[in-house]
Amino acid sequence: MPGFLKRMSAPVAFGALILLATVTMVTDRRALRESSGRDLPWWQGILLDIAVPLQKTLAAPFDAVGDGWRSYLALIDLREENEQLRNEVAVLEEENLQYREALVASGNLNRIAAMRDEFEIPMLPSEIVGLDVSPWFRSVLVDRGALHGVQAGNPVITHEGVVGLVTTTSANAAKTMLLLDQQSSIDSVVQRSRSRGVVRGRGIDRLEFEFVVRGGDVKPGDVVITSGLGGVYPKGLRVGEVIEVSDPGGSLMQIATLEPAVDFGRLEQVFVMLHRGPTMDLLYGTNAPAPVERVERATEGGTQPAPVAGPGGPAS
Amino acid sequence: MKRLISLWAVGILALVVQGALATLLGPPYCPDLALLVVISIGLRWRGLALGLCLAAALGFSADLLSGSLLGQHTLLRLFAFLSAFFAGRQLNLRGPLPLVVFTAVVSLIYSLALAAVSAFFVVSSELAWVDVAGLLQHALVNGILVPWVFSFVARVLVWAGDDDAAARTLDIDARRRLV
Repeated sequence: MPGFLKRMSAPVAFGALILLATVTMVTDRRALRESSGRDLPWWQGILLDIAVPLQKTLAAPFDAVGDGWRSYLALIDLREENEQLRNEVAVLEEENLQYREALVASGNLNRIAAMRDEFEIPMLPSEIVGLDVSPWFRSVLVDRGALHGVQAGNPVITHEGVVGLVTTTSANAAKTMLLLDQQSSIDSVVQRSRSRGVVRGRGIDRLEFEFVVRGGDVKPGDVVITSGLGGVYPKGLRVGEVIEVSDPGGSLMQIATLEPAVDFGRLEQVFVMLHRGPTMDLLYGTNAPAPVERVERATEGGTQPAPVAGPGGPAS
Repeated sequence: MKRLISLWAVGILALVVQGALATLLGPPYCPDLALLVVISIGLRWRGLALGLCLAAALGFSADLLSGSLLGQHTLLRLFAFLSAFFAGRQLNLRGPLPLVVFTAVVSLIYSLALAAVSAFFVVSSELAWVDVAGLLQHALVNGILVPWVFSFVARVLVWAGDDDAAARTLDIDARRRLV
């Protein structure tokens, strides 16, 4: 009998582990689909909390090498680029002046100021400390977690545009699914023509924008921004720029290829918007962990603490 | 127990290092060190049941640090471990070249399986986006690095008390029971 048990231990262990892995996958998929994220239990969060400082330390020399190389490359065409940029700045300043004049003339300035107030969402400066350990998924680890008020469902942005969404948090770290991940999708709108559609990640450095052919006016060069209708991201965040529009054939839906607004290859610092859209708040309800009362505010250089809007705070 | 804990720690270290490396190297060129650790353990490990548990633990750790579904790497690392466990006993992988080829093949199949599982659970169109050239490059990078990882794992095993791990031969022995 003991011999039989010993012989059967491996097949039983194999079967049990396969079953466990499959059940975990199904459960996790359901959790992701229903709530776009989850806060890890403490015993799982420990691993993230251990890995983040380690990864931060280990990444430092790699970052230094990468920065050195990029600086060297940047120096090569510096003078030419500098001159080109000066010209562009002059053109943009002129354009900017004209736009300001036009806005003042049409009385839109007040409306823009009001919109700005609506967007006053507390933002937490965070640092990317590691990329996805698996080359086939697109997520990053940031060095701020639940203790800093970060919750699953918080949008993550940079000054360039949308980075992604926090999917998992531990005490001192958060896993952020990038816009490029194939599980990512955002309700978006073309800034010029207001054509609506959905931007999806493809797992590569390009995004796809799916929109209805009828009435859809999308051209290469168009800027795509968040529509705010998905209930996850606030309205007006830059998502990407159209670089190619495919032929729809007989299909009702057309696909445009976008270049992301954010350069994911050089992602170092991001801002976590300490606000979940109404969809997220509805899903999380009152069980959502309360954010900390005071956090650093991005607009104040990350040094001045400011009160955080709770679930009833500024909406998208 | 010492063997289990030390190898799990090596696996975690591999995950952390490859996460840091990913900031410098693009996806196809960033080696999957944690997978190499699992393969190396499979080639050297004695006792299938415990080895499977260790592989599952390492896979689950990878899931926690990755954007994959929880359980995805766990499932596939079980198969990676099994393939290494049986191949190590059926094939002569003592030379660097057979080891490199074997690891490259396992890496390639692993990546395809990962895409297939993702396609099944997450999006149906993912398989269409699999970059075959990228997968091949990644498999090659993994294959090239495996002799060092293999040697490191063997040293850790010796340190942890498995005295004959470094010297254990991988001769073909068709009469031997596998399980």
